[in-house]
Amino acid sequence: MFAGIDIGDTNTDIAIIDSQINTYKVPNADGLDNALSMISPGGRLAISTSQPLNEIITGRSVDIRTICIPGPGLVYPGTVKGAVSHRGDIVEPIDPEEIKRIMKGQHAGAVAIAGKFSVRNDALEKQVYEIVSQFYSDEQIAISSPIGSLNFPARIHTTRLNARVKGKVNTLIKKISKVNPDFYFVTSTGGLSSPARALDNPMLLYHSSPATVANGAYYLSRIDNCLIVDIGGTTTELVPLKNGKPVYETVIIDGLKTLVKAVSATGIPFGGDSCIRTDICPFRAGSSRAFGGGEPTLTDALNVIGARIGDFERSEVLDKNMAEEAVEKYLDTVVTEIRRYQPGVLIGTGYLAHYLLSDIAERAKTTGIVPEHAASANAVGAAVSKISLEVHIHVDTERRRMTLNGTPYPYKDAKDEDDLIAYATELVRDIAKNEGAPEEDIEDIRVLYYSSFDVVRGWRITAKITDMILAVAPGISVEAL
Amino acid sequence: MTCGIVYDPSYLAHEQSQSHPERRERLSYTMDQLEEEGIFDLPQIRLIAPKPAMRDDVLLVHTEEYLKFLEDASVTGGIIDADTYIPKNLIQDALLAAGGAITGADAVLNQDVTNCFVLSRPPGHHAGISQGAGFCYLNNVAIMVRHLQSRGLRRIMILDWDAHHGNGTEEIFYDDPSVLVCSVHQYPFYPGSGRFEDIGTGDGKGYNINLPIPAGSSDKVYQYLLEEIIIPLADEYMPDAIAISAGQDNHYTDPLTGLALTAQGYSGMMKEMCILADSICYGRIIAVLEGGYSVEGGLPYTNLGLIAAMAGLDISSIREPEIYQDLLKKAVSEDAFPKVIKMVSGLKRILADHWYFIRRYESR
Repeated sequence: MFAGIDIGDTNTDIAIIDSQINTYKVPNADGLDNALSMISPGGRLAISTSQPLNEIITGRSVDIRTICIPGPGLVYPGTVKGAVSHRGDIVEPIDPEEIKRIMKGQHAGAVAIAGKFSVRNDALEKQVYEIVSQFYSDEQIAISSPIGSLNFPARIHTTRLNARVKGKVNTLIKKISKVNPDFYFVTSTGGLSSPARALDNPMLLYHSSPATVANGAYYLSRIDNCLIVDIGGTTTELVPLKNGKPVYETVIIDGLKTLVKAVSATGIPFGGDSCIRTDICPFRAGSSRAFGGGEPTLTDALNVIGARIGDFERSEVLDKNMAEEAVEKYLDTVVTEIRRYQPGVLIGTGYLAHYLLSDIAERAKTTGIVPEHAASANAVGAAVSKISLEVHIHVDTERRRMTLNGTPYPYKDAKDEDDLIAYATELVRDIAKNEGAPEEDIEDIRVLYYSSFDVVRGWRITAKITDMILAVAPGISVEAL
Repeated sequence: MTCGIVYDPSYLAHEQSQSHPERRERLSYTMDQLEEEGIFDLPQIRLIAPKPAMRDDVLLVHTEEYLKFLEDASVTGGIIDADTYIPKNLIQDALLAAGGAITGADAVLNQDVTNCFVLSRPPGHHAGISQGAGFCYLNNVAIMVRHLQSRGLRRIMILDWDAHHGNGTEEIFYDDPSVLVCSVHQYPFYPGSGRFEDIGTGDGKGYNINLPIPAGSSDKVYQYLLEEIIIPLADEYMPDAIAISAGQDNHYTDPLTGLALTAQGYSGMMKEMCILADSICYGRIIAVLEGGYSVEGGLPYTNLGLIAAMAGLDISSIREPEIYQDLLKKAVSEDAFPKVIKMVSGLKRILADHWYFIRRYESR
């Protein structure tokens, strides 16, 4: 059995897939526990938590103390002593007293620790962590090395965001584990991650909704090239699929680059719960009247012009002309954005897809399809996702050092390039297997990047340094197909 | 300020032999450092892809016969001297290096960027009109300078601070007053040339300045030369652009040379050059990588320091890791400075007829 949960901005969607697909929608107001209780333990549960995390990430910022270990180079705020070189050697030690001085009387809500080249040797970050953990608990401290890739400024930023959400992720893990200990998080690329890995790099979970929608829409429709129109409560998201896969992009938050990749989507700030005052407004003011709210919304407007959603009689406070105008404006806004993609086919998902997609498709002069269970495609997508990993690997034959996403692994002499890739592939496969990935899902481990050069000293080759990125690509689990 | 960085992964492709010191490792750590510093995300930095040079660009400097020789040897493989082989396909790599310098110069002239650093390989400043030498095949800087002149610039100053004398560049412009060549180098040392008495010939007399300095010369020596010769020279010459043959083998950790410049010294020197260029030639500086063989302790920090200075970033933390401090103590020689002062006064005597700034100071 596969179960998926997507906590959206209004509702929580649940999908349970065994011999057939069953989907449910419960209001967020009922609480996560209620949603969890609908899933019988025993199967695999994947949960997409992007909404509660997005609120923290994009909401009012918490005080985060950053401790930077930059060593030589450009200037960064919050610098302490210590340096790791580009080869991953510790070339300057940290000063424990300096860290203690900073920590004494520290009022920040969380601490972010980031060292330059820590992805090649995490020892200094770990040493600082040890000292900081005398003052803060683990869920308040984030370190940068598990993020894995070079780019110190972006890693600092990502680590600060991680420090901000780590506590929340930790609370979620505890809460979910009580009900279903065997569960995964859906990441921003649509792959699954074990709770432990997510806790090391919580930003993996940022904005996972478009990714779940992409997986779900593909699973339900099996259409390779299309534009998904996901009509949610607060927003409408456009997610393009190319050859059955979404497009990825680097996430920018507060104007700064992060080291998070997420499924590319265009967000339109109108959804079923967008309230209608003099005009349709780009925000939510409680539920639709049809679902017990106070102010009329887009959903109510649809009821006024003929739909029968929820308690539709309550929608009738809205004037028919205004309802028509609101729907008109909504369609216009969405279709304008859709035209930019010049899609061949539209796949509608979300709970209003059935009511709106045919009009949208007609205006966009294209075909629209609303597959079965489209209303909860996001939860279906979560349920059928597979464990995915992206591992940055650095190998230095002279130092006999091998790091995977900043963590040291046993070094092994390799005969040649193929041998090295084979060994690294095995390590990555083991990580995925330990997280619970089935064999079929980890057969295909891809080399996304490979670069290697010789170390030459005095006209002799003395060593070889290799950087590579291996990945278990996100997508749909073979077991679910 | 916007600093262009001309770079392409194919600059790592060139290898004379598997274990030759002019190797891809030279740029590998630098690129790691730049990537880790997030350099390419900065608004002050623009990454520019090099375009290969055309035959006609090369022929502005080198002879048809020599170019043909390189082209032929690139098919069969060949040899120029004991440490300069011609591996197969060399000509593509050499043209891309020279073309990178041209691409950078064009970006500066078109005002896409204020200045530019060309992180190219193979280097070029030992390559003369009709022969290569010392790891060099095509004289990238000379080809770029001629290209700039073909686009209408009149006078160009070349500052060559590679530890080795830029003998190829000297030969190319020895009789040409439209290019002021100024080379600071360890002396006596490879290639043997570069005496301060060699000041040019014919119309070019007085426009070739050699600043030979002894092993052990430190930041202080370079600072002195900047203040005493290089800056006043540029102020008087009023070039339309400044080209820098940015060899980074004068770093104190360099295994092939004996000079003692630090990363902070490099960065400070480039900062001074940027201020100078701002005041005389709209900030136009095109720096082109030449030598530099301290791949771990030197190049990542010096290259970053140069780029930081060119982009107007804070250079106060540009330095080497502390583990190299002992090497610095060993590399610096206190005897060097007095020798340099003596050399400079000798040089000034010879150049006094050609440069007013020397006479002006002496008359005081």
